[in-house]
Amino acid sequence: MLCICVCVYRPVLAKAIHSLSRIGDELYVEPQDDGLALRSVNSSRSAYACFLFAPLFFSRYTIPSGHAFRCKMAIKSVQAVFRSLASLEKTVEKCHIGLDEKKNRLTFTLHCKHGLLKTHNLSFQDSESLQAVFDKDSYGNVFRSHPRLLVDTVVHFPPSLEEVTVSVSDERMWVRNHVEEEDRSKSMLTELCLASDEFDHFAVTTQNSVTFCLKELRGMLVFAESTGLPVSMYFDEPGSPLVLSVTDSVLEGNFVLATLSDDSNHRKNNSRREQTPPPPPNDDFMDDDMDSYLIAMDTSIAPGPSATRPPTPPLAVSTYSKQPAAANHRSRLIAEEQEEEEEEEAELADSAGPPNKKFCSLFFGSVLPPSSQTSTQPVTNQEVLASDSEDDEQ
Amino acid sequence: MPLSTQSQADDEPYVLVASLDNARNLSNILKSITFKDHAIFSATPNGLKVTVEDSKCMQANAFIQADIFQEFTIKEDLVGFQVNLTVLLDCLNIFGGSTVQGVSTALRMCYRGYGYPLTLFLEEGGVVTVCKINTQEPEEPVDFDFCSNNVTNKVILLSESLKEAFSELDMTSEVLQITMSPSQPYFRLSTFGNSGNAHYDYPKDSEMMELFRCTTTQTNRYKMSLLKPSTKALALSCKVSVRTDSRGFLSLQYLVRNDDGQICFVEYYCCPDEEVEEE
Amino acid sequence: MKFRGKIIDVACLNHFTRVVTTISKLTKICVLRLTPDNLFFVLSGKVANGGVSMWCELSQANFFDEYQMEGVSSEDNEICLEVTPENLSRALKTVQNAKAVKLKLTKKHCPCLTIAAELPTLSSISRVVTHDVPVDVIPRRLWHEFKEPSMPDFDVSIYLPPLKTMKNVVDRMKNLSNFLVMEANLNGEMNLKIETDLVSVTTHFKDLGNPPWGDDASQDGGPSQSRDPEDMAQARVDIRKLQQFLMGQQVNPSKAMCNIVHERVVHLILLHEDVSLQYFIPAVA
Repeated sequence: MLCICVCVYRPVLAKAIHSLSRIGDELYVEPQDDGLALRSVNSSRSAYACFLFAPLFFSRYTIPSGHAFRCKMAIKSVQAVFRSLASLEKTVEKCHIGLDEKKNRLTFTLHCKHGLLKTHNLSFQDSESLQAVFDKDSYGNVFRSHPRLLVDTVVHFPPSLEEVTVSVSDERMWVRNHVEEEDRSKSMLTELCLASDEFDHFAVTTQNSVTFCLKELRGMLVFAESTGLPVSMYFDEPGSPLVLSVTDSVLEGNFVLATLSDDSNHRKNNSRREQTPPPPPNDDFMDDDMDSYLIAMDTSIAPGPSATRPPTPPLAVSTYSKQPAAANHRSRLIAEEQEEEEEEEAELADSAGPPNKKFCSLFFGSVLPPSSQTSTQPVTNQEVLASDSEDDEQ
Repeated sequence: MPLSTQSQADDEPYVLVASLDNARNLSNILKSITFKDHAIFSATPNGLKVTVEDSKCMQANAFIQADIFQEFTIKEDLVGFQVNLTVLLDCLNIFGGSTVQGVSTALRMCYRGYGYPLTLFLEEGGVVTVCKINTQEPEEPVDFDFCSNNVTNKVILLSESLKEAFSELDMTSEVLQITMSPSQPYFRLSTFGNSGNAHYDYPKDSEMMELFRCTTTQTNRYKMSLLKPSTKALALSCKVSVRTDSRGFLSLQYLVRNDDGQICFVEYYCCPDEEVEEE
Repeated sequence: MKFRGKIIDVACLNHFTRVVTTISKLTKICVLRLTPDNLFFVLSGKVANGGVSMWCELSQANFFDEYQMEGVSSEDNEICLEVTPENLSRALKTVQNAKAVKLKLTKKHCPCLTIAAELPTLSSISRVVTHDVPVDVIPRRLWHEFKEPSMPDFDVSIYLPPLKTMKNVVDRMKNLSNFLVMEANLNGEMNLKIETDLVSVTTHFKDLGNPPWGDDASQDGGPSQSRDPEDMAQARVDIRKLQQFLMGQQVNPSKAMCNIVHERVVHLILLHEDVSLQYFIPAVA
């Protein structure tokens, strides 16, 4: 056993996993020095979520020393361990999470009432670390409220609605459903106006609007509401990700959602992309030598100034990251799953080209190789990357 | 109305007449064995046995004793017929199968014999429904030859503890493996799914374990698709007896208490998975 | 053309929402006719919607605290809109706890029925939600299609049993068959019947009573004079249509009736204190 986490069963762990399942199909598990990180990303890479359970959350927290370990598995199978939340609360007394790297399995053991012992051995795949680059503290617009306020807000929108637009002024926040221009005559438009004093914290430095997916927001709210933790929302300009977060003394949850960039940006980027076909796959990328490539990536950002931007790599990554053709958000993630996805990615690049959709810049940052893996520290100057990588090729 | 004229069976041409004040006492228990449309009804003076089978590897029997019925008149030693169980259940629940106290559907079920339909008279709140369900000649149910002399292992559990396990079963697993043993792990349910395996271990001294009598360590696999329907019976029951015989055949007996506190039994037999391969 | 209405009373809002929700269960699209005194939801039987017709009439004064309208012209003081009741229902459902709800005909990106609600908050400033539901304005020349359907010359008129009981029976029958025969006589008896290869089911309702239609009813002084009270009039209908009608009903009306034109049409009428709903299901062979 490499990693052992034991805790008196607390439903918050299960709730976090259920909430991550609203984001993506896979759960990324990474025992870190500062706690157990559980992450997920959606298939179009426009939404990412991470929960970090501090060592103090557990009654015992032992992780491998010397080298970092990470893995991913189908989130459904982990959800199955915690299927019936209500009954678990009554029956489970202790929860034990053990990681066996040799057998490639993560074991959840639930000690239940009447001596019933449930053991789930889940097989996993190795994975690179999955991390979105975001720096919510640098964002100009910050709001915090009891989850109820947001729950009462989203209830006005139909479950089928995909995106909402949030606009702010110094005093108000407006939330409305996002409707494509061509659908406007057919669609119902809903707008809700919230006064600043309904929030615990309401700070606006730039009066602007961002549009993002509602599904993930709902996923976050289910968690926040069930735990009663206040939700903080951070956003900046259209195109840079919106961050939702919850924290208490032993856990932190961050949901990073891509936002649509504004219209001018949209047109500009689209036309530019039409003129400039994506470059062929980078040879380095096709090799399994992901780590070195990624290091290059990461260190290249660190200096920050746009003059020292890396050459083609970021674009190569963004262009070839897995992208369902129908995806509404175009996002850029440093993908780590080279084996499975390369073929498809290459194909996409050849035939389909970038989806003819609004440009959107959720920017997932980089992955350091295990040895130099630092932590969840955000890379500070991601705006450079986020806004300009497209220019780099020119 | 037909329902108020009970105890006239002698004047009637029916070989079988069975009446219930509360049709739910029949419909609930039949629901717990509904996984195929065809059900074989065998009535004897002792009561009614309803059998449903799946691919000759699994068989479910519901027993409703004669004294559960307010009237149970049978003119032959054995009356057998086959009907579509889904249709029968829709008929029994024609008034919605209300669970509200004091509201119940009265039932009178009559059968004239070979070639005749099964006739149901149902009444609730003064409204009467008459159903005529076509019958077929009964097939011979498979004899699983499960006899208590050959039972090697047996446990009786409170259903509550198994309900949780069954509701959480990994359905991507093709089989459910049952291990019964006089030593550790005593009673274990295992699945082997796409994403890994899971084991549920019940200690023999658990309060949930009413009886533990295992003589040899036995591990058998049963097709999940065959066992899954038994969850319905489990949900309804308060106790379950799990037995395996020397061939690895499984018997699950569920003790079901109806709305009026009377006891009925539902039994599932299942062949071990290996047997299927040999066929 | 102007329309503006305001509902403050919670019970009225709730009631209005229920009516709209009922309509939304019956049809995807219908016509909303606004007159100075009434609101009408109208569906005129076209083959596309299974030949079903609907006529729902509400007296505005029973729902609205304020109600102002100006029709197309002073002679034709009406407004006729094609609406999606589902959208209206959804919008209304989310504002059930509102302090006040306004309904307005607005010109936004397209003609809209705007539902604006003031929601209670702890804050000093109200939380306001607006729903713009796109509508199509129906031109004057098409209005004739949305007139109140005339009372059919029925053979039997009968009160319906409790709708809940009827719904249970129809739901089960739906599992067994696609068509159902509805038959009734002037002796207060009604039967619902299905018959398939596997099973035949008949549910008998009795003592339902027959409404006294008097003079304004069926043309020649009502059918009761000449008709044998035991004689059943029947119509075979698509069960789904009947099921839809029963599904939408959330409260028992003060009166529920059914008129059957033998082998032609089933005409269902629900009367609440301030709402009436008529629904026509054509018979099939």
